Amino acid sequence: MTVFISGGCKNGKSTYALHAAKAICGGGSLFYAATMIPHDDEDLRRIERHVREREGWGFSTIEKGFDICEIAALTGYRATILLDSVTALLSNEMFREGDFFPDAGAKVISDLKALCGGVRNIVLVSDYIYSNAETFDEMTGCYMRSLAAADREAAKLSDTVIELCSGNVILHKGKLPA
Amino acid sequence: MHLVIGGAYQGKLEYAKEKFNIKDEDVFTCTESGDLPQGSKCLYRLELFTLSCVRRGIDPCGAFSDIGAWSGCVIICEDIFCGVVPLDPLAREWREATGRLLNKLSPEACSVTRIFCGIPQKLK
Repeated sequence: MTVFISGGCKNGKSTYALHAAKAICGGGSLFYAATMIPHDDEDLRRIERHVREREGWGFSTIEKGFDICEIAALTGYRATILLDSVTALLSNEMFREGDFFPDAGAKVISDLKALCGGVRNIVLVSDYIYSNAETFDEMTGCYMRSLAAADREAAKLSDTVIELCSGNVILHKGKLPA
Repeated sequence: MHLVIGGAYQGKLEYAKEKFNIKDEDVFTCTESGDLPQGSKCLYRLELFTLSCVRRGIDPCGAFSDIGAWSGCVIICEDIFCGVVPLDPLAREWREATGRLLNKLSPEACSVTRIFCGIPQKLK
């Protein structure tokens, strides 16, 4: 089963994703694909908080900021993976080693498809960043367009699509993970 | 009139074309400087029309005072309402004018659909 979760910042996506992954794993092994590459203390504190939140849930952590298509080879097909987040993954791929890769969105989509096809269950978390009254520079615009394309592709290939709003679930497609 | 709204790059136009059987030549894409053609089948990027109005000091609602003239139209507008209040006064006015216009159009619309990651969510 593939579950896609998005919504605004601080709406409970990561916590809900833990429940969703646990609900669909059927007792099988659980892996947390951590995509964030820490750049400063703020990132480290955020990662620490997420690690604490996962304590006792039974997830093995795989730190993978790039090339997520390689994850399935590490976990095997029967695993359930929680990937948090598509947002950080695209940022890593697009701005890899300080350069700018405008075609990173296509790579992320291709890697997501490969990963989703390579494991039994996966929960994908992304961020809804598309409702601004602001004109962005070309790089930021490229990032937003690419993330939206990845989100739409993920939504298409997912059995369930969920938006989180202040901790409330809006079901856009399929059935709630149970 | 049918209203299709949603954030940037969510697949609003793609949805509208398929759902309402709209051809490319039936789509009028609004610009940052220009008026609306009466009798259009589909207005795309309504938020650029409202931006042009705000820049000219015109209330965009005026273009829809004869609401019946737009009864057969599919209107597509970007949701620009959820970010931080813009520092630029013109952007603030743009956001508010667009919001006021959508609030005027919504009650008149046969359907209002929000597109989320390519998936339609029926609001009305």
